[in-house]
Amino acid sequence: MAGKHEILQDRPGGHLCTLGNLAIVRGALEAGVQFFSCYPGTPSSEVGDTFARIAEDADIWFEYSINEKVAIEVAFGASLTGVRSMCSMKHLGLSYASDPASTMPYVGVEGGMVIVSAGDPSLITSPNEQDQRHFSRFLYYPVFDPATPEDARLMTRYAFELSEKTRLPVLMRPTTRVCHSGGMVELGALPAKRNEVRFVKDPTRYVPIPTNAKRMRMELSDRFRRAEEMLASSPFFPRTGGGRRGIIASGIGYAYVSQVIEDLGLSEQMTLQQVGAYPIPESVLLSFLDEVDRVLVVEELTPLVEECVSLAAFRNQRSVEVFGKHSGHFPIENEYSPDLVEDAVRRFAGLGARSVPSVDVPALPARPPVLCPGCPHRTSFQRVREVFGKKTVYCNDIGCYTLGYGEPFQACDVLLCMGSSISQASGIARTTGQRTVAYIGDSTFFHSGLPALANAVQAHDDITVVILDNYITAMTGFQPSVTTDRCHPVASVRKEDEVHRENGSPFSIEDAVRGLGITDVFSIDPFEEGTAREALKAAKTGRGVNVVVCHSPCVVNDRRSRKEQRPVFAIDQDACNACSLCVRQLGCPAIFVVDGEYVIDQDLCDGCELCADLCTRDAIRPVAAEVAK
Amino acid sequence: MTSAEGAGRSSGRRILIVGTGGQGVLTAARLLCDVFVDRGHHVVSGQLHGMAQRGGSVQSSVIVDGGISPRIGRGRADFVVGFEPVETVRALSFLSEQTVVYLNVAPVIPFVLGQQYVLKEGDGRYPDVEKLLSCVRESTPHVHTLDATEQAKASGSTKALNMVMLGCLLGSELLPVSAEQFWSFGEARLPPALRKVNHAAFYRGVEHSRSFHAGVVAS
Repeated sequence: MAGKHEILQDRPGGHLCTLGNLAIVRGALEAGVQFFSCYPGTPSSEVGDTFARIAEDADIWFEYSINEKVAIEVAFGASLTGVRSMCSMKHLGLSYASDPASTMPYVGVEGGMVIVSAGDPSLITSPNEQDQRHFSRFLYYPVFDPATPEDARLMTRYAFELSEKTRLPVLMRPTTRVCHSGGMVELGALPAKRNEVRFVKDPTRYVPIPTNAKRMRMELSDRFRRAEEMLASSPFFPRTGGGRRGIIASGIGYAYVSQVIEDLGLSEQMTLQQVGAYPIPESVLLSFLDEVDRVLVVEELTPLVEECVSLAAFRNQRSVEVFGKHSGHFPIENEYSPDLVEDAVRRFAGLGARSVPSVDVPALPARPPVLCPGCPHRTSFQRVREVFGKKTVYCNDIGCYTLGYGEPFQACDVLLCMGSSISQASGIARTTGQRTVAYIGDSTFFHSGLPALANAVQAHDDITVVILDNYITAMTGFQPSVTTDRCHPVASVRKEDEVHRENGSPFSIEDAVRGLGITDVFSIDPFEEGTAREALKAAKTGRGVNVVVCHSPCVVNDRRSRKEQRPVFAIDQDACNACSLCVRQLGCPAIFVVDGEYVIDQDLCDGCELCADLCTRDAIRPVAAEVAK
Repeated sequence: MTSAEGAGRSSGRRILIVGTGGQGVLTAARLLCDVFVDRGHHVVSGQLHGMAQRGGSVQSSVIVDGGISPRIGRGRADFVVGFEPVETVRALSFLSEQTVVYLNVAPVIPFVLGQQYVLKEGDGRYPDVEKLLSCVRESTPHVHTLDATEQAKASGSTKALNMVMLGCLLGSELLPVSAEQFWSFGEARLPPALRKVNHAAFYRGVEHSRSFHAGVVAS
């Protein structure tokens, strides 16, 4: 291994340009974090992936947890032994983990505990957008809302101290634009001393049965008030500029507005107040309101700051005009952009709208995400469709295989959240009386598919669960899943080797499924057409719950360590009759139509052979491997 | 910076790099950030890769000695480095009359065009490249075009496309880091096996850029 990760460098006062997610890791290291758990999810994944790389060098307990609820509980358990713990996930993960998260503030932490829950305004990679800042009021969490990577570092470091002093778990909530933006970070000192590991039994303190919980409830209010007091003297509410017009901004909106103010030359005429955390201390709001008559609020999603400002003004009889979402300066939906902020600031400052020259642009082709060439999911979709047909309802789940949506696979008729394919299939099969198919990946299956499957067995639902086991959590960046072979590099498991790996991962999907009482369990390699079809036919005509496990490694991950390049394919133009079957049925990004001719881009082809099998005229054939790519 | 091409900024140099997944846009942006930081500049950068993968649209911003915002506003890019014609036109709103554009004219054909063709949802053709270029030229007079994919291939590998494009940008001498400074910093950070190829590709870009800019001064 080539040296330590740059985020570990012990160079206090030095500077680094790094992503927001890595700045969070740095902040945690500077706070002496000892324990880390996570479940990956865009845009949070680099936090966990960085800890995975540095855990050994930094002497940190690390795990990719089975799901977010477990991640939070494990980290909370560690915190009760006095260590500083952190766990990370995306916003949807925190929803999933909200059961433990809602009682943790009552019980209280011992070692400081920080939960990172990355938000995704504009639904860039998520089925919904949520404003986790509401955890401050909803469940009594101090919440940090960084505008820059440097904010993220400083806030994370401070969050551990705040957590330990108030015994509250603390939420760090960056959004996509902060997580995935690079910015200058100043390196702080890495502590030599860490918390001692010590668990002192005290059930009255750690067991929230109602008698204890009632007491905890009262203590919680005190602890939350103390958090607000600490925040009031924290450096996360800076104010700059001057003038009776004020802008109050949070998150990435603060970064945009400070640039817009500079671009418009308004720095001397505007008072700019940042909100870096919640609850917003009333003293911060009042001293800001003392300086201004008119206020523009810049915050993404719900009007949380806006309502706090309005309420503080009303309660304290301050006469100010407040503009933001209610006034129509900003929308409630989606993330902001520098342009949106500039337009609102111009309107607020009484400047005219900016004229933008318009250029006539031809229609531009989109570049939507698609399954990679050689992806085993494509083959599985193809096999299942051949047997189950178009009329069957296909419930899909969260992962790369969601790309079964639409043409050409039509493999996604419903979708909701992690693990929902199996439970939705139950509901649909039970009321329609039709066998229903659920597609779910290995990581998602163990995340939250297992309880749904047990439920389906209990109800004897007529469903076929197709588990797409590619030995990895591919979509979020190749994190190991529980079926990842830990004894060997993930990618070394080829389909030719063995479908039932005896010495590989400690987990067997088949054993887990059989353990629930399901007898019809079929293990297939989707690339073996004959056995795959037999198994699917048996599943289709079966009764009750049956499971088809499709084992085949993620092709992108596999290619990294493949010893021999597989031959790539080409289309013989003399044999091809342009029937379009390959393009129509496979949606493979290696096959193009150029001036009516069907061609395979050999730089992209992975040699999976699926198109060659499909071609009725034998026009698609392997080409001799030339030079290694 | 005294060049007329860069006038009208309020602060910093705002560079936008656009292309498709797999072209090396993110690596180029990362190298650029690192070299500026190494030479004592303040840098912020933004990227959006979400669900983008190989073949998806990629935009990356690098802002040198500017403020804290990682994103560039409408008409406020000082430089646009376009790895691909359609992706450059997609970024047209960032251009103003002052923007300097380096544009690779070699298209990356979106595979969905084939699907649209067989499903009769469109003619399946990539837009006319000349038309795309004229859209860019309508926005700014400072457009420098080249077939950078061909240049990369001539240097030894199409994978070196990003080095040709970086060569164009840094060969302009409009940034506070020179081409030579960049190369002496970047070479150690690139895969040793591709060092020669990258070096050749980078300096092909530099040469092109120098001849573009010499031409601008001459005319």
